[in-house]
Amino acid sequence: MLPAMAFVTLDHVAKTYRGRGGDWAAVADFSLGLEEGEFFCLLGTSGCGKTTILNMLAGFEPPTAGRILVDGQAITRPGADRGVVFQGHDSLYDWLTAEGNIGFGPKLAGKPRAERREIVRHYLTMVGLGGQGGKHPSELSGGMKQRIQIARALANDPRMLLMDEPFGALDAMTRAILQGELSRIWAETKKTVLFITHDIEEACALATRVGVMTRGPGGTLKAVVPVDLPFPRDRTSDGFMGVFRQVHGLIHAEIHPA
Amino acid sequence: MSRSATLAGYLGGFLLLFLVWHVAATILVKSALFPPPWPVLVRGWELIVDNILQDQIRASLRRIGQGFVIGSALGIPIGLAIGSFRLVRALLEPWTEFFRFIPAVAMITVSVIWFGIGEESKIFLIAYSTIFVVIIATAAGVGAVAKDKIRAALCLGANRWQVFSQVALPATIPYILTGMRLAMANAFITIVAAELVASNDGLGKMLWDARLFMQVEDIFVTLLCLGMLGFTADRLFRLAIRMFAGRFDPTI
Repeated sequence: MLPAMAFVTLDHVAKTYRGRGGDWAAVADFSLGLEEGEFFCLLGTSGCGKTTILNMLAGFEPPTAGRILVDGQAITRPGADRGVVFQGHDSLYDWLTAEGNIGFGPKLAGKPRAERREIVRHYLTMVGLGGQGGKHPSELSGGMKQRIQIARALANDPRMLLMDEPFGALDAMTRAILQGELSRIWAETKKTVLFITHDIEEACALATRVGVMTRGPGGTLKAVVPVDLPFPRDRTSDGFMGVFRQVHGLIHAEIHPA
Repeated sequence: MSRSATLAGYLGGFLLLFLVWHVAATILVKSALFPPPWPVLVRGWELIVDNILQDQIRASLRRIGQGFVIGSALGIPIGLAIGSFRLVRALLEPWTEFFRFIPAVAMITVSVIWFGIGEESKIFLIAYSTIFVVIIATAAGVGAVAKDKIRAALCLGANRWQVFSQVALPATIPYILTGMRLAMANAFITIVAAELVASNDGLGKMLWDARLFMQVEDIFVTLLCLGMLGFTADRLFRLAIRMFAGRFDPTI
């Protein structure tokens, strides 16, 4: 059964890996539809298969069962329509400056130099790194590197952003700042976002909907919680607390099964 | 450390080396077969004034340079192909793993039979000793490119060629330079051995002649030259690696 013609459709998707001790399931029977422009947080415990979902949607690995459609088209390979922000900063190009990294996609697309410069300047400013464009990744902090990753993905003007625990390795302060900025950037660019996290507060602060996965291996979607709270989110408001409690209850049952 | 401190350190290190040499030759050993630094330096100066030393150095460095360039020019693309394509790796790994264990010194005989005692045999040997080190370092570099770097490029719309030329190749450059640096050290070993066995000029030939005529100072002049040249070549490579690696991960 299809979650009727959403922008992104995951239809009974499963992923099984061949291991030495036989096959094991990373994701089992996962179905979800994403609307265009929404910010969907996929929340789950470590090893539940949430990153596998992202990898399949990005086109890095094919599902072993089910279908993944973006705008009605089946995903077969990675593409410029789906920008990815990775967890670590391994993905940045150390030999290029911040500007070179951000301009990488537009350069591949063959955009002329003047247009590229304009794009780079625009997104560098958007992620709050104006004036730092000449630095190499090794000269930047962890938070700044993730800002470059976000700018690099956006500079390619993808239809959606896939973010794999992008703030997971950052300290709590930097993380909170970047969460706020990401909300602002999302509101500015109106991109569809799939955001993977294991942080309940992060999910509640960013998402328009939070999807909670069952615990792994072989996790599946347990429940979807809509978050109808205005941005910027007040994390001490009653509304926020209510959503937090609800999501916490769902995930808690996965951490400590009865 | 600042550049001037490093330079001062090097200078002090070399002075210490000469001091230890002096003490060893004048107090510990005291033999006509082990001259102290001063007479060796004087002899070196004489050879320079007579234009002999420069000629030998030039002959050896030219061979090293030519063989090294040929070996690297062949080794880098082969290493890139081995690192990039599983089929190429399967086909060529037996070659690299086979020849790697036949040292260039062992190839001198074959090389002289094939190419005579002229330039070609020496250049062949240097290229031979360079190529496998460069191939292995380059292939390892390609294999070490972080998976997320390649995935990121694919998500930004890169095709296979662009992933190779824009990501894999620049990410591999520090590894290639490191391989070339190791190969350069090999080249110095090989050139001396090759010139010892069959040559009309070069530092190895000079070493051989000096032994023949028991010119002990000349032997030490040659050794001094080899050490200094090798040291300089290695520093230059390190500088080149730094120039790239400064922009890379500083831990490489």
